[in-house]
Amino acid sequence: MTQQQMILNDAELNLANEKIKLEVNDLRLYYGDSLALKNINLRIPEKRVTAFIGPSGCGKSTLLRCFNRMNDLVDICRIEGKILMDGQNIYDKKVDVAELRRQVGMVFQKPNPFPKTIYENVAYGLRLQGVKDRRVLDEVVETSLKGAALWNEVKDRLHDNAFGLSGGQQQRLVIARAIAIEPEVLLLDEPASALDPISTLKIEELIYELKDKYTIVIVTHNMQQAARVSDYTAFMYMGDLIEFDATNKMFTNPSQQQTEDYITGRFG
Amino acid sequence: MQPNQASSAGVQSDIQSLLPSGERRARLRRWRSLKDQMSRYGIAFAGISVVLAFTTIFVYLFSEVGPIFSSASVEQQQSYQSPEQQPVFANLERYGEVGLLANKAGELQFFNAQTGELRQKLQLALPEGASITSFSRGEPRSGIIAFGLSNGQVLVVKHEYNLSYPNDKRLISPVVTYPLGETPLQLDAKQQAILALAVQEGPSGTAITAFTADGRLSYNLFEAKTEFLTGETTLERSEYQLPDAPKTVLKMLVDTTLQNLFVADTQGNIHYYDIRDPATARYVEAISAVKAGQTLTALEFLVGSVSLIAGGSDGSLSQWFLVRDEHNNFHLKHIRDFDQHPAAIVQIEPEYSRKGFMAIDAKGYLGIHYGTSARTLLLEPLGEQLQPERIAISPINQSFLALDKNGTVQHFALENAHPEVSWKAMWNEVWYEGRAEKDYIWQASSGSDEFEAKMSLVPLASGTLKAAFFAMLFATPLALMGALYTAYFMAPALRGKVKPTIEVMEALPTVILGFLAGLWLAPFIESYLSAVFSILLLLPLMMIATAYLWRYAPEKLRFALGHGWEVVVLIPVIILLIYLCVQASPVIDQWFFAGNLRQWLTDNGITYDQRNALVVGIAMGFAVIPNIFSIAEDAIYNVPKHLTQGSLALGATPWQTMMNVVLPTASPGVFAAVMVGFGRAVGETMIVLMATGNSPIVNFNLFEGMRTLSANIAVELPETAVGSTHFRVLFLAALVLLVFTFIFNTVAELIRQRLRQRFSNL
Repeated sequence: MTQQQMILNDAELNLANEKIKLEVNDLRLYYGDSLALKNINLRIPEKRVTAFIGPSGCGKSTLLRCFNRMNDLVDICRIEGKILMDGQNIYDKKVDVAELRRQVGMVFQKPNPFPKTIYENVAYGLRLQGVKDRRVLDEVVETSLKGAALWNEVKDRLHDNAFGLSGGQQQRLVIARAIAIEPEVLLLDEPASALDPISTLKIEELIYELKDKYTIVIVTHNMQQAARVSDYTAFMYMGDLIEFDATNKMFTNPSQQQTEDYITGRFG
Repeated sequence: MQPNQASSAGVQSDIQSLLPSGERRARLRRWRSLKDQMSRYGIAFAGISVVLAFTTIFVYLFSEVGPIFSSASVEQQQSYQSPEQQPVFANLERYGEVGLLANKAGELQFFNAQTGELRQKLQLALPEGASITSFSRGEPRSGIIAFGLSNGQVLVVKHEYNLSYPNDKRLISPVVTYPLGETPLQLDAKQQAILALAVQEGPSGTAITAFTADGRLSYNLFEAKTEFLTGETTLERSEYQLPDAPKTVLKMLVDTTLQNLFVADTQGNIHYYDIRDPATARYVEAISAVKAGQTLTALEFLVGSVSLIAGGSDGSLSQWFLVRDEHNNFHLKHIRDFDQHPAAIVQIEPEYSRKGFMAIDAKGYLGIHYGTSARTLLLEPLGEQLQPERIAISPINQSFLALDKNGTVQHFALENAHPEVSWKAMWNEVWYEGRAEKDYIWQASSGSDEFEAKMSLVPLASGTLKAAFFAMLFATPLALMGALYTAYFMAPALRGKVKPTIEVMEALPTVILGFLAGLWLAPFIESYLSAVFSILLLLPLMMIATAYLWRYAPEKLRFALGHGWEVVVLIPVIILLIYLCVQASPVIDQWFFAGNLRQWLTDNGITYDQRNALVVGIAMGFAVIPNIFSIAEDAIYNVPKHLTQGSLALGATPWQTMMNVVLPTASPGVFAAVMVGFGRAVGETMIVLMATGNSPIVNFNLFEGMRTLSANIAVELPETAVGSTHFRVLFLAALVLLVFTFIFNTVAELIRQRLRQRFSNL
């Protein structure tokens, strides 16, 4: 993979031509009485990488967590508006949150493997779905680890504790764990911020490979990373979505002054 | 550029440093290092002190317990010429000052047992031409002895030692009395020589059994009758001929209840006669008490005249007593053997106040044995040149006399403080006097010297485990489930109230819990037993049903209560259910249990004590719940949030996350919580003391009580004599308790370490 290719591809991207996977309509999110997300409207294209950038506290992680309803776990959090996935409102009362989260996988900033073996970590999601057949589990574990570019490094120690892996390997293990249950969307919340440059590079390569199969939404602080891996970029500031466009355009010719200031490092 | 960098380097003096001057900082450094040192040594000192204190406790416990496992020792004190060469009887007074020897000529000689100097000599009034042909000693403590004469007469003598303190000095004066008159009684009308004799004082009078030269066995009871008007005392004699007399007689013994007669013949058999009703006396059986080819050489009662010790010509010693069979008949049973002597037993000398005895054999070996514990505390030659043929022990087991073949008397000091228990007897079934079979019994003390102390630690240890088991059975599920819910599902505001409340329960004095359990809960459970079981059965069902129905409650109502507050709905449900169950209890009893469940249990062969394991389980469970809850709740609550979120993000339900991620990760803490609770339940004293009934029985019946090690110590330590065997066994019980908790805590810690290793790096 080369940077050249990516940029060339990016040049052809246009939101109007994309199939939309997730659609955010007038989303407002309150933490207690304070408004954390102000009327967000956003359409995330299918099988593309969409990056959320913005200064700390701008609400990009909060928005990301709306897509798999992780914000439900926060007691004081209240949401108004709609998020449609394939045209279905995920905040509808009839939606089974656990099933939604199976469809919308998530990887956190800090690698969080379970205190189990590598094998059991990957098989965890399948076991939750009631899969008990050993052959099925074996196969899924292998394809998932291969899909997360970890197979060659761990195939001889599948039954060792996952804590024995390095941080970068753990993060790829967590990605393998997420893709093992065949999600449609992958949410990555600063997946490389706790990793060294080489591990970061590997994760970025992995993201590039994964976008053939999954719709990927990534939150990042690293502008270069956003530029390298994403097809579309959303810039958020103080709970507002300031600008959303193809990455190439955002980084070369942003339409908003705030975006340009942020990208060129004048604040944040 | 940082201003302080600049100033410390000494350049750019125009920027003022805000740090204190170098001298002050140096002083501060010294002061800080001093504080460091002080805290280091202070902490080390405190740590070592703790270890020392713990070691001291251990050492003290061991030093108190140690003596019960030590053996006996004898030490020769004085040796002097015997005042009498061929005594039929020797006796030593309590303080080892005065000795008594009786010979075949009817002379009683009291002498100074330290020097051999003659104190008093007494010639019994024997009729002209009659000689002493037999001798018998009653229960040693009564001091009663009897001489059988060649003309069929018997003379009964009682000797005592009177104590007085003239000029604050102890003066022991021997006194001889004649309870049946000073002149010999004509026991045998046919004037046959009395070859063997057995005298005993019993509740109904003095019994004399005689075996005459022509082979008859007669039983005579002398009852002292006091004339109501004149106050005159007359002796009333009843004579009975006993059936089936043996051919030869070595020794005859009648017990102090005057119900059983044992006759040893020279062939090695013990003949047992039932003389409860002398008029219809019955020959029951003959038992061979020695191995084939051997003969009996000595037979003696242990104190209390229940156990017989039989000594054989091969040096064997065995214990026998009467055991009741299923038809309510008594049979003489072999109970246990003692270490064998190298030669024929010459004499068996029982101790006065406990179930021990000394034995000497033909090779000059002295053996000190103990009945209950089957211990042989000493078995060695008494001295190099010594060949004792008669011994007499002082009533307080501190000295004894040995009469040597060469005519000297040796006075020995005796050290034999704790023969009553052995490690084996404390942990194995022991056949106690009067019992139908071997058993585990704890019954350490009684008012009588004849009492056989039963000190088996098994009932106490099993009682401890039983109490702890039922308490844990009650507490563990409640505490752990409570902890799970509180830590993981409950609303934070509610958790902030619930957790401190339960932790405050820990501070509740256990004496109050015990008091409530013993005086309120135990009678309550007894009268509403069916309510207890219907609550146990219905409460979980009712809770699940309520939770299910709550899902279909109006949304407004559910929203008003809020997420994580659902548990509040259960409170009225639980109270209502308990009330209904209690109210319905008489009806349930009426329908299913013929009016009363407690009576129904008894009728079906299940013993029901009012203070039982159910009561203790609930009461001690309440004491243990806060311990388990508090630690387990912390462990579950402290499982990192990123793990639970990771699981939820993979599409797990909260319950799946709980079971698959939270619980395994918290398992070291949860396990530690359960073990802490168990340790508390094992060591808990006040509740079990007040609510168990303190009956030391060995079973796991839910409806019977128990006695625990800790409660036993609390009950018995205040009333035992310091330094006695009982006292030391209580210390041993404390040590066992300590070992129990030590083992449980060590195992728990090891498992916890392993679990923690598995779930480390979080």
